[in-house]
Amino acid sequence: MDAFPILLSFQVSLAATVLTLALGLPLAWVLARRRFPGHDVVEAAVVLPLVLPPTVLGYYLLVVIGARGPVGRLLDGLGIELAFTWRAAVLAACIGSIALLVKAAQAGFEAVDRRLEQAARTLGRSEWNIFWSVTLPLSWRAVFAGTVLAFCRALGDFGITLMVAGSIPGLTQTMPLAIYDYVQANQMREANLLSLVAVMTALLFLLGLGRLARLRF
Amino acid sequence: MVKAFVLCVFTLAAAVGPAVAQSKQPALTVYGAADLTVAFREIAALFEKGTGSKVVLVLGSTGNLAKQIEHGAPADIFFAANATFVDDLQAKGAVIPETRQLYAQGRIVLAVPRDGKLSIPRLEDLRRPEVRRIAIANPEHAPYGRAAQQALQAAGLWDALKPRLVYGENVRHALQFIETGAVDAGIVARSVADTPAVRHVPINPALHAPLNQIAAVVKRSARPELALAFLQFVNGPEGRPIMKRYGFLLPGDF
Amino acid sequence: MLQLAVRKQLPGFTLDVAWEAGDEVVALFGASGAGKTLTLQCLAGLERPDRGRILVNGTVFFDDGTGTNVPSRRRRLGYVFQGYALFPHLSVADNVGYGLHDRSREERQRRTAEMLERLGLTGLADRRPRELSGGQQQRVALGRALAVDPELLLLDEPLSALDAPLRRQLRTELMGVLREWGNATVLVTHDLAEAFQLADRIVIYDGGRIVQAAPKSELLSRPASEQVARLLGVRNILRGTVLKATPEIIELSWRGYVLEAINSPIRTYLPLPGTEVAFFIRPEYVRLIRKDRPVDPGHHMNRMEGAVVREVDQGTNWTLLVTLDHAGTPAQGDHDLEIEVPKLVYEMLEIARDRRWAVSMHRGSIQVLPAA
Repeated sequence: MDAFPILLSFQVSLAATVLTLALGLPLAWVLARRRFPGHDVVEAAVVLPLVLPPTVLGYYLLVVIGARGPVGRLLDGLGIELAFTWRAAVLAACIGSIALLVKAAQAGFEAVDRRLEQAARTLGRSEWNIFWSVTLPLSWRAVFAGTVLAFCRALGDFGITLMVAGSIPGLTQTMPLAIYDYVQANQMREANLLSLVAVMTALLFLLGLGRLARLRF
Repeated sequence: MVKAFVLCVFTLAAAVGPAVAQSKQPALTVYGAADLTVAFREIAALFEKGTGSKVVLVLGSTGNLAKQIEHGAPADIFFAANATFVDDLQAKGAVIPETRQLYAQGRIVLAVPRDGKLSIPRLEDLRRPEVRRIAIANPEHAPYGRAAQQALQAAGLWDALKPRLVYGENVRHALQFIETGAVDAGIVARSVADTPAVRHVPINPALHAPLNQIAAVVKRSARPELALAFLQFVNGPEGRPIMKRYGFLLPGDF
Repeated sequence: MLQLAVRKQLPGFTLDVAWEAGDEVVALFGASGAGKTLTLQCLAGLERPDRGRILVNGTVFFDDGTGTNVPSRRRRLGYVFQGYALFPHLSVADNVGYGLHDRSREERQRRTAEMLERLGLTGLADRRPRELSGGQQQRVALGRALAVDPELLLLDEPLSALDAPLRRQLRTELMGVLREWGNATVLVTHDLAEAFQLADRIVIYDGGRIVQAAPKSELLSRPASEQVARLLGVRNILRGTVLKATPEIIELSWRGYVLEAINSPIRTYLPLPGTEVAFFIRPEYVRLIRKDRPVDPGHHMNRMEGAVVREVDQGTNWTLLVTLDHAGTPAQGDHDLEIEVPKLVYEMLEIARDRRWAVSMHRGSIQVLPAA
């Protein structure tokens, strides 16, 4: 049985989580600390991927990044492949899970006493510095919880990944897709084995993360 | 301790990177209809042995695969389960028109779980009240599903049976419903029905439009010659016996 | 040197204030919600005024005319927040040194140690804020604000988070720190005693506006209006009718008595006869005339007679509520005047037993308030 889907899934999920943090933390901060026209719309839009059927989401994404879509054609011109590669799997996993991080982080940031940030401001720190030295340390539990949730969701993504990355064995066939293929082909022995390995690996990873969380204090 | 964990994670991530890159070898990517599952596994293995080129099979419902190819899926060649989806791709300029070729004609069968209590020799028997659920591939995007629908309509059973139908993504999926006993009966491709868990009887091909299965080389392919070679392999002396064994009718035989 | 003129519109509240101060301690005094903290935040750059100009030590912090708005982090000031806003995740030492991030490591450590020692916090350097008492937290907040050597110190209700006995003690400590530091300080408080003890100049806020800004000595003796007097908690605010007004003297009719008051030397106030004016006399300046000695008219002016109807024990003093003999409704509900006597005097004159008394008021103690 091929171990490739598991390794691919972990790599994709880790990369997706990094992408989620890079995009989601600033977004959560803006939503928590700034009022602007359309604030509610953005908040709703963030949650939308959790609500839409994954295959629908995947399809519209494919239309945009596929060979005939605006983004796809642009990338093609630059020689970058996105659709039907592992990068698309990362994108799919990120889109499906970013809402979990944003909501948790936003709540965490909102709970930080604004006066602490004001104090930091009067003491000469820049906004960027204040985020890393005050806001994030005081909200890290919420951010951490959101990150773990996002990672798990990324690990299990199926519908969106199937649409934009396809289930190409040895290339983009992540663990959930591989298990599904085995089940569909009625290769239950392989399906069960892969599922077992997947669950065990995920459990170990999550236990490690949990231990990490408790270590802080 | 924290640092060690983080280091582990990143090493794992980094180590897999090369693994992914490596898998992107110059292999021939064959997108094929679900009914070719069993047959193509054999043919692909033979092709690999013969030419030394690795073959990657991506099988599913014709409609879904066509859509993906339309949006740039990395297929070298597409084996559809009918003609219309290939025509569609041709109109969109996604395949090389000169390579378009008929490679088989499919058949549908009526199948039941082998350990089921029902014995269903004919289509009309599907009417019986004990037959509560019937699986077919989705007629929207699976040619075999559409053929199943046509057969039921021709037999005057469609309206009566429609409420009891369960749609699988493709014939493989529909077959799985039957194998696991989740449904009482189903209509699937002949070529996938030879599994121990299932019994099947043929359905009169006159009841549906011919399942003329067309293949074409995808325009975006980086290896069109290899793709064509594979097509010829399938239609040639090595491939035909295998196709025949799985109940396909071959060009020249019909 | 500080010049501030600020206008800011909020839903349901308008702030429109202007005042100045030198290198001294200025207290912004007023009820909650009067706009004091908002002013402080505008000074600090944490809020942006709609209009106005803020000038500190020659630097323009804000000017809506030129579009200048120096960001908070560049204003070089120290801000002690109400409730202190200490960083809960940092140690005392890291809190104090937080503003020193742009200095070298040695300098940061040196300055921090210096500050901790100055405020008596050396042993607590590694503790977290939640492990500290209220007084210790206040000192850490001060230390944090002062460590960066600011040009201006801002304090928002620095003592309101503490209970009364501690507050008194820390007020004295704070006074010491401020005196030693010596630069311009702006202090927000709703406690009059705090304002008087700590500040040199007091700016009185009411509903988003200034009603009086003056050195503290001037404030109590010469409130600008009846409204200010009330805000300052002045007692015995009374209303009388002018009989005669000259630059030296104002003669009033009140409760059937004729009172003579010295006119304000600074502001020649000449109300027309028949005008109703407000005036006050501080309770501690109404004198009881001793019965065992002859009365000296030069000493006892504006004599009246009455009886004590109620008294309130103030701990070290007694407040006597006195109704005068003349017919008519008493001026302040059930009494005409409040008189404050030290406990010693109360006991010596046996006021508990002897309730009838003649009182006098020196003409210099009667303050006539100009119309608001």
